[in-house]
Amino acid sequence: MAVTTSPPTRESLFSNQPVRMSSGWHIRQALTYALLIFGGLIVIIPFIWMISTSLKTPEQLFVGTVDLIPNPAVPQNYADVWSQLSSIAPGMTFWRIIGNSLFITLLAMFGEIFSASLVAYGFSRFRWRGRDAVFTIMLATVMIPSILTRIPGFLIWKQLGLLNTYDPLTWPALFAWGPLYVFLMRQFYLTIPNEIEEAALMDGANVAQIYWYIMLPLIKPIMLAIAVFSFQGNWNNFVGPLLYLTTPQMYPLALAMQFFQNSVSKAAPLWQYMMALSVMMALPVLIIYFLAQKQFLDGINIGGVKG
Amino acid sequence: MDPGALQTYLPTLVRYVLVAIGLGILMVVAYRVQIRLGIKREAATGRALVLPWVVGFLIFNVFAIGASLYLSFTDYNLIQAPKWVGLANYQTLFKLDVSLLGSSDQRSADVMPRGYKEVQRVSVANGGFVFSAQQADFWRSIRLTLPYAFLSVPIGMIAALGVALMLNQKVKLLGFWRVLYYMPAILPAVATALLWRWIFSPSSGLINNILSPIYNLFGWETPRWFTDPNLALPAFLIMSLWGAFGANSVIILAGLKGIPKELYEAAEIDGAGEWAKFRHVTIPMLSPTLFYNLVVGTIAALGVGVELGAFIPTSATIGTFTSYQLYLDAFSFRKMGLASAEGWILLVVILVLTALIFRSSSAWVFYQGSREEAT
Repeated sequence: MAVTTSPPTRESLFSNQPVRMSSGWHIRQALTYALLIFGGLIVIIPFIWMISTSLKTPEQLFVGTVDLIPNPAVPQNYADVWSQLSSIAPGMTFWRIIGNSLFITLLAMFGEIFSASLVAYGFSRFRWRGRDAVFTIMLATVMIPSILTRIPGFLIWKQLGLLNTYDPLTWPALFAWGPLYVFLMRQFYLTIPNEIEEAALMDGANVAQIYWYIMLPLIKPIMLAIAVFSFQGNWNNFVGPLLYLTTPQMYPLALAMQFFQNSVSKAAPLWQYMMALSVMMALPVLIIYFLAQKQFLDGINIGGVKG
Repeated sequence: MDPGALQTYLPTLVRYVLVAIGLGILMVVAYRVQIRLGIKREAATGRALVLPWVVGFLIFNVFAIGASLYLSFTDYNLIQAPKWVGLANYQTLFKLDVSLLGSSDQRSADVMPRGYKEVQRVSVANGGFVFSAQQADFWRSIRLTLPYAFLSVPIGMIAALGVALMLNQKVKLLGFWRVLYYMPAILPAVATALLWRWIFSPSSGLINNILSPIYNLFGWETPRWFTDPNLALPAFLIMSLWGAFGANSVIILAGLKGIPKELYEAAEIDGAGEWAKFRHVTIPMLSPTLFYNLVVGTIAALGVGVELGAFIPTSATIGTFTSYQLYLDAFSFRKMGLASAEGWILLVVILVLTALIFRSSSAWVFYQGSREEAT
């Protein structure tokens, strides 16, 4: 964790006289922590509520009081929700649905990272006429509401006969469909000194070799950050599967949640099961976030500050 | 009906590899052709490298946008071929009407023209107005989405700035706070939507459970939040604030850390108090970060909604977010042409708002010379 241990002076806007330790400083410190803890509670209580609901019996749900710790806890909910799903759509098992999610996520993630690293390489380390104009156009595509291009996109996949396959969700990633990732990578490439390439060119290396042996190891930190973003983005993707997949057994988890809500849980919401699904949906991205938080937050900062 | 896992994975995997190989070959060919044309190696390599994006851009953006513009002038239900109808879709969308109500309890249906549906009813004294449209659902969705974007982005930024200023004071366990505050932004949108539907649930949701003593004290009815015409927007705003303020504060914190300390020292020598330092050093130095947040946040907020619409039922008077309305019109009601026209209106709204934000930037965004060199 990046706990800054710089000297106590001039650290920030408000704390530039901490050496005096006046009573005003103490009050301000106490107030800061009180507000931080208050904000932290607001952040964390919905998470606790989600987990605690997923462990409750139906009777415990409607008691009308705030019970954050269920007694007794029912971890059985996590298995039951899957037997409920398979009872309406045979084959909709935990492993199948998680497998679908992972299949889509990993293929799209690999495509996004690999293509963004190539495209950003072309936008940053080579001079060619029209480069900056093309780059601006790429950034401008962010403004197009995705639902607008989804309609003709749907018709393209229909023409290709690839509706209800994983194709629309996976290999288009090879075309660098995330301008943000290209932008982040480009920012990173720009920080690499030119001498490195020049030395390699002198030694007779070609572009493919420079990319593979020199650039890829150097851009590893930003690739990791983008891998985290990309995993999150594709794992969470709901609209794509909603449009293109029609066979329930082929659904990723996000779509299985909607399927559950609109079938088993339609008449009266079965909150304990829906929260169990939500926890399962959130767990992989949260684990990856905790493991790779440094890369993740660094990536955010490159995008947010230098933009 | 279920083809089995492997039968669904394998064909896609094969086509994935073929497309990757095809792209590689295309890049090499593009490079060779340019060299043959006498273009310098550096330029030829650069262009060949960005080719994957260019191909995707041509298919999924240029062609798709062109096709959607064409479709917006047609009647198309996915089964019969698109039928050219000229401006009819846009005319349907822009057919609006304001009628006067004779008395406040008069039914809207009595005063609206035929074929129109109510969007909004305004009661004034013992009369009022009814705004109606032929495509009322779309205007209802705009009426929800625009205020949502206009309110959620600034509120989220102010909250984020507050948190960032607190974190920027020498707090202990900075890493812990950053990780904690960023967590809601990690939660998948579908899980967020479902979780908040449950939190705002009228019968036994967290919010109503906590607030029930207050309702009892004042003798209020238990609010129905998402299905209450007056409370739906506040509920969506609270939800979006929870999801975004921590994430934005991490970005703003990085901006705060990037402000050179010498500026504060110089301001102190000139006798600046804390407010003056905040107003004349922090805000100008932070303005590029705030600007970036504003642009990205506004575009995202206007495009929001499919997950929210799919998981959170609202009442008919509120309608849903524009993106979900578009999805419904296109894929549930099979009105591809009409939905395309709606999409174009949404695109124009986004472009105009983004242009306005960019135009305003010269008035309040402060760019240091050195910053520009970096990009």
